Amino acid sequence: MKVLGIDTSTMIATCALIEDGRVLGEFSLNQEMSHSENLVPMIKELLDSLNLKVADIDLYGVAIGPGSFTGLRIGIATAKAFAHVYDKPIVGISTLEGLAFNLTFSGIIVPMIDARRNRVYTGIYRWEKGRLINILAPTIMEIEELLELLNNYDHIMVNGNGTYIHRDRILEVLKDKVEFAPIGLNECRAISIAELSLLKKDEKRDYNYYTLVPEYLRESQAQRELKGKESGSR
Amino acid sequence: MVKIRLKGLKETEEFGKKLGSILKGGDVLSLSGDLGAGKTTLTKSIGIGLGVEDYITSPTFTLINEYQGRVPLYHFDVYRLEGKEDLLDLGYEDYFYSNGVTIVEWGDRIEDILPEDRVNIEIEKTDQEDERIITISGQGKRYNEIVKELNIN
Repeated sequence: MKVLGIDTSTMIATCALIEDGRVLGEFSLNQEMSHSENLVPMIKELLDSLNLKVADIDLYGVAIGPGSFTGLRIGIATAKAFAHVYDKPIVGISTLEGLAFNLTFSGIIVPMIDARRNRVYTGIYRWEKGRLINILAPTIMEIEELLELLNNYDHIMVNGNGTYIHRDRILEVLKDKVEFAPIGLNECRAISIAELSLLKKDEKRDYNYYTLVPEYLRESQAQRELKGKESGSR
Repeated sequence: MVKIRLKGLKETEEFGKKLGSILKGGDVLSLSGDLGAGKTTLTKSIGIGLGVEDYITSPTFTLINEYQGRVPLYHFDVYRLEGKEDLLDLGYEDYFYSNGVTIVEWGDRIEDILPEDRVNIEIEKTDQEDERIITISGQGKRYNEIVKELNIN
């Protein structure tokens, strides 16, 4: 089974093809405001280089956020369109879970995606018996609030683009309790999204190319505020 | 806070060009002022200072226009937006925190989501035709640098 993974949640656009437990290829580019121009040519380049066609893809895995609103829409719209044309299954994977899945570590794994204004999208994960378990569900937090929470743990590995923005502060608070991921595993990797979608394809059957939507996370905050406004005006 | 009196279109143009020549990628300008105060006109001059060769038009209907100068210029008009939710849908953060210069007309309407490090420019008409009073304010590092470089006094 050939699985195409896509992640455009952050400044990295990444796509990868895996088959039967091995990587066929991965293509990642780190460039601002360019996903809409780059993603489809990247997938074409990847497939052409492997002498494959879009029709050969059996399953689509796509990162559904949190992350850049525009970025998410580009990746998800692309994956949904391809899946729709060839009537193939599609699985949405949390961008944070994808990041955590990049790492193998005995302590807790904490991916951080920059959410601007000193906030990060984050969650807490841990490997247990070969499965990546989610301990803190994906959320948006002030970096200080997160670091205070993480201070309760003593074996932490962090990754994601939030970790280089807040690197100094993370080290200052967590000191020798924290380890940073190697560069190659620090950013979103489509290989992880592809493998996770393969692992989850049976439990995530309720999604298809019609129903899959981004999980912005921020929207719920906006909706809360909207509700606050509405209830206030009544 | 700095106030400047610009006597006529030419002075406004020169001010805009000078400001544009100072701006760097990542800068955010919030423009405010009544309809017809000259927010788009000022943006045109800032664009020239930034090296934009395209003709800059009002983004009132398109919401965002993008231009390529020395650095990218993202020109917003948030007048038509209903609120913050609309901006979230636009994916505004990719612009506000980019390597380009962002100019937001009616920025005073979305103050709470603009980056703190920004420059506010208020344009007021006077009773003299084509005369404008420009009030520049801000609190970030770039505000101080820009005001210093504008060398007003």
